[in-house]
Amino acid sequence: MDKTKILVVDDNPTIRKGLSIRLRANGYEVLFAEDAISATAALVTERPDLVLLDLGLPAGDGFVVMERLHKNDRLSNIPVIVLTGRELSGNRDRALQAGATAFFQKPVEDGALLFAIRKALDVSRGELRFDE
Amino acid sequence: MTSPAPDSSNLSTYLSHELRNSLACIHQFGNILLDGLAGELSSEQREYVGIILENASNIRRVLNSALDGVPGSHEKCTNKLERVSKLET
Repeated sequence: MDKTKILVVDDNPTIRKGLSIRLRANGYEVLFAEDAISATAALVTERPDLVLLDLGLPAGDGFVVMERLHKNDRLSNIPVIVLTGRELSGNRDRALQAGATAFFQKPVEDGALLFAIRKALDVSRGELRFDE
Repeated sequence: MTSPAPDSSNLSTYLSHELRNSLACIHQFGNILLDGLAGELSSEQREYVGIILENASNIRRVLNSALDGVPGSHEKCTNKLERVSKLET
């Protein structure tokens, strides 16, 4: 059985490395993108199972990535978890309205992030549903 | 990997981004060490990494309170996943 693929989008290479160690240790395959353009390309070519998305990115930002993702029928059901260094104000609600499944500020507890990833994947696979 | 300092109107955005990314790196790699993902640590090494992480958490609490007006822990996820349940079969 193929491993679950997670696309980590962050312009900070140290953050990418730390997340990849943690995610791989939990059995996930990890792909990377460091800006909005390469993130969009990776979404199309790799079709990950979930995206961990920073908001502050070169060549566009996380909102641009979410907009492109949700405009593409083939990609629009991929869950997005935002993990950002930006302030709550003006970003949290906007990210959730733009389609993010969850919003975390850095630094995040590993357990909380891994729990959110599992739940988001369960929802996207139809094992859980959002309550009205 | 730091950006140029901005004018005062964007100071909180700048501080949030720069400080949170640096704190995230400390937090991530401290926990990677503590969890043995880079090899086992001695009890003394674990104690010292624990001190680093505890102080990083203190800085995070101050940052949350100063920049976002959220006192105390900020670990609760703000998300749609708080409203999920098992599908009925």
